[in-house]
Amino acid sequence: MKQALITNIQRFSLNDGPGIRSTVFFQGCNMHCTWCHNPETISMKPVLMHYQNKCIGCGRCFSLSDPPEANRIEGGAHVIDRKKLKNPEVLAENCQASALVMSSRPYTVEEVMAEVVQDKLYYDLSGGGVTVSGGESSLHASFISELADACHEKGIKIACETNMALPWQKMYVMLKKMDLIMCDIKHVDSPTHKKYTGMDNQIIFNNVGRASLLGIPMIVRTPLIPGATNDISNLKQIAEFVAKLQNIECYELLNYNPLGSSKRVAMAADDPFEDARPYSRKDLDEIRKELEGSGVRIKIS
Amino acid sequence: MSEIRFINEFEPDRTFTYDERIALLRKRKVAQTEEKAKAGGADEDDYGLIVQDKFDYKLQPNHPNGSIYGYKAWTFNYCSILKQHPIYVDALDAFSAKGFLFLERLRPKTKKWNPDYPYPELQAIFDKYQVISGIDNCHHFTPDLQIGMELGWGGILAKLQEQREKHDESHHEFYDAEIEVVKNIIAFIYRAADEIEACANEERNEQLSENLHTMAQIDRNIAENPPKTFREAIQWSNWFSMLSRTYNRGSAGGQLEDLFNPFYEKDIKMGRLTDDEAVFYLACMFLQDSRYWQLGGPDENDNDKTCHLSYLALDAADKLNIATNLTIRVHDKLDPVFFRKSVELLFKNKQGWPRYSNDKALTEGFMRNGYSKELARKRVAAGCHWMCMPGMEYTMNDTVKVNLAMVFQVAYQDMMANTGLVKPSAETLWDYYKKHLKIAVDATGAGIIHHLTYQTKSQPELILNLFQHGLIEKGVNITDGGANYYNMCVDGAGIAVAADSFAACEQRIDIEQKLTYDQLTQHMIANYEDQDGEYVRQMMLHSERYGGGDTLGDKWAVRISQLFTDLVKDLVRQHKDNPKHVNFIPGLFSWSNTILLGSILKATPNGRKAGEPINHGANPNGGFRKDGAVTSMCNSIAAVQPGYGNTAPVQLEVDPQITNDPDGVDKMCAMVLGILKSGNTLLNINIIDAKKILEAHKDPYKYPDLVVRVTGFTAFFAMLSEKFRQLVVDRVRAVNGDACEE
Repeated sequence: MKQALITNIQRFSLNDGPGIRSTVFFQGCNMHCTWCHNPETISMKPVLMHYQNKCIGCGRCFSLSDPPEANRIEGGAHVIDRKKLKNPEVLAENCQASALVMSSRPYTVEEVMAEVVQDKLYYDLSGGGVTVSGGESSLHASFISELADACHEKGIKIACETNMALPWQKMYVMLKKMDLIMCDIKHVDSPTHKKYTGMDNQIIFNNVGRASLLGIPMIVRTPLIPGATNDISNLKQIAEFVAKLQNIECYELLNYNPLGSSKRVAMAADDPFEDARPYSRKDLDEIRKELEGSGVRIKIS
Repeated sequence: MSEIRFINEFEPDRTFTYDERIALLRKRKVAQTEEKAKAGGADEDDYGLIVQDKFDYKLQPNHPNGSIYGYKAWTFNYCSILKQHPIYVDALDAFSAKGFLFLERLRPKTKKWNPDYPYPELQAIFDKYQVISGIDNCHHFTPDLQIGMELGWGGILAKLQEQREKHDESHHEFYDAEIEVVKNIIAFIYRAADEIEACANEERNEQLSENLHTMAQIDRNIAENPPKTFREAIQWSNWFSMLSRTYNRGSAGGQLEDLFNPFYEKDIKMGRLTDDEAVFYLACMFLQDSRYWQLGGPDENDNDKTCHLSYLALDAADKLNIATNLTIRVHDKLDPVFFRKSVELLFKNKQGWPRYSNDKALTEGFMRNGYSKELARKRVAAGCHWMCMPGMEYTMNDTVKVNLAMVFQVAYQDMMANTGLVKPSAETLWDYYKKHLKIAVDATGAGIIHHLTYQTKSQPELILNLFQHGLIEKGVNITDGGANYYNMCVDGAGIAVAADSFAACEQRIDIEQKLTYDQLTQHMIANYEDQDGEYVRQMMLHSERYGGGDTLGDKWAVRISQLFTDLVKDLVRQHKDNPKHVNFIPGLFSWSNTILLGSILKATPNGRKAGEPINHGANPNGGFRKDGAVTSMCNSIAAVQPGYGNTAPVQLEVDPQITNDPDGVDKMCAMVLGILKSGNTLLNINIIDAKKILEAHKDPYKYPDLVVRVTGFTAFFAMLSEKFRQLVVDRVRAVNGDACEE
């Protein structure tokens, strides 16, 4: 039975496509965006998350730690050496307070369906459905393809959020079954793109262009990251590119989401955008004005 | 402040628009509320009650215990109050009719029930299972104001006098009491007119003086006669409200369109009313009292009742923007523009209004009791979680609570006391639970019958009696056969605590075998504060919870609800020979008894510590799901609806940022419809910024006009005690998942 690593199934999700949705977050990404608000999903394997505020001090993680020195107290704080720790799953399983949790677990298509089908009424009333996200959803193209079939069998629409950065043949399997494709173009300049995400952008432009010919509604999006993607010239060039494509619903600018900061703390990871804050409504309106006239509907979320 | 006369506040030549008057009246209301909060506040509805220091009534008891019982004492004290009660006058307002006290609350708190009619055996059972029996409680059914608007107080008096002549002496005590009450009401309204007239002569502002003259004339018009205009109709209903509240806090309201639209249309047709005026009058009505009004819903032909006046009511509530108890009855033909507008206002004002009821679930459910669709549709939203046919039924709505969590505790202790005979397991525990819940519910039913039998000897319903169809003709108090129907409300409270406790036992002990019942019992006795206690508590707390969606907790909640429903309906069979043909209807609601009912409950297997509150209404416990998904919670509540026309309401806290998206309102409309179409009966929504509520919890006066829907009622947040504010904060945390923590 096909399985995929899933970090979370978020029901009553209002920010991952039209209507009321259930968003399925997959583990693993081929990019390494420095601002990612779901940093725990980047690794291809489950990550040990440590929420210190939930710790009840039972000490079981210390007694179960392999090797023992992978869990230690330094300056009064509980420090986990993830490179040394061999049994993070055991620690998470025995942490009843959920202070230690693994970022994901394997799901079958049936398990995902059992969860998402519960909100079908809300999808129908709102024009919503299921969204596959991540991580990078297309890394699980085969699983998602089956999930799409299962959703359609139940009359549920399905959308994907993807970085469009895999070879077309691999992506196509999944994309053709979507009712809506939401994809990112983060930067027009390839070296800058690579600097922030770890990948060139050529394949992305290529795939976005191909996907727009599938006859499936598409939304192209750019996350507004202070100092990285927010340059008006960058946004204008993307908007002009998008305007030439077919089946485009809109070009959507996603306000900076600081959610990743707390997760980085839980992963003991560095946060280069620690001081970044979401844009104000006024700033967003100014950006929108600059982009008006580019030939595509601009949406700001 | 504590003032009750507001005249000569402005320059003689100043003029006011209606909007300016509403804004000034709102400002005064917020100041009065802050004053009320500083005077001690209250964990309940606002009632439009005025805190003042001009009038204090000393109860005249007719019993050595210092309380009052029966027709004569209630009549005497009520009429004495009316003779002395000062008249509140505000020259900005369109109406008079503000009250200062409730007679029923002047009695000693523990002496409400007439001691000549004790029930010690039942009380022992109530104490054991923590049943709130409702015995001695009053009102909690709905009068039909239409009766009064057609007859006027003079017409009611004439009818009482006429009927008295037709009845023998056994009814004279009833008639004499009611006649005395109505005569005093008429005199009171005439006195109000005189005092307002005097204020009008004193008021130096021309516009406001004219307003007071009109107000006085209206009071003279309706002191005996029925109202003829829109303004008179609202003034009449305001007087009713104040007079009923002053007696025993009695509820009022109903279908707003049915009551006022005929007056509105007539006045518009005759060119003596504008929409601006109508909005102002409605705003002043909402200001006068926070009573419940229903808008929309189907008529007898399934057509929508929404009309232009419905929109004006929303406009009025929007302009006033305080605690307003408006319920929109949602059905397939509800005007979609009206519905969308209501959702927009809910999110714009973030004051907990309106709320939404589901016509289909309520009507079909009530019909299962044997009523016609026509009668079922007459049941309008009239209280925190309840519906009532105005002027037709006696219900004890929202006054009777069976603590399902306490029943669980008794059952658990009984099982553990018999481990020599039975092997502990969730299924064994269920057998004990069934036994104990039956004892608790049966006693509750017997308590209701006891209340019906002797309530007149304690507290007759001298005001609400007058607005019941056929009661004056019968010449008896409503509990003595005066109602057309007896549909007695029996609510279960604490379902989530009981369900999660069953689920935690099944999952952690029976299935996973991570501990034994003996070990769990020891930890619970130690309130999870012994060695490994917190570890075990966290394990139990993180079991599959009610609200999670197809979880063990959800399964147990459905079983408990079905059992409770069956047992309550069995009361109908048990009491079938009662001459009042008493029906019993199950619901799930705690009102704001969550703190009380949790206070003496010991630690429970779901990881709840001793003394912590039980869950609110039919809502799951906080932390029911990591993401706090609204849809999951609402599906679970839909699955436990008892299904006989009484509610198990959804209490929802929503973050205002949801509507930042341009499509946000559309999504919220879909959410409301989805929650109701999935089978839920009633939806209360708070739009609360988690950060703001946390700040207001620390410093209530930082946001003195912040209104929240506490249970079914809305209240100023600053008015609530710290414990009650904590309840609202906890619910906000629950649906924000981990967001409040991180």
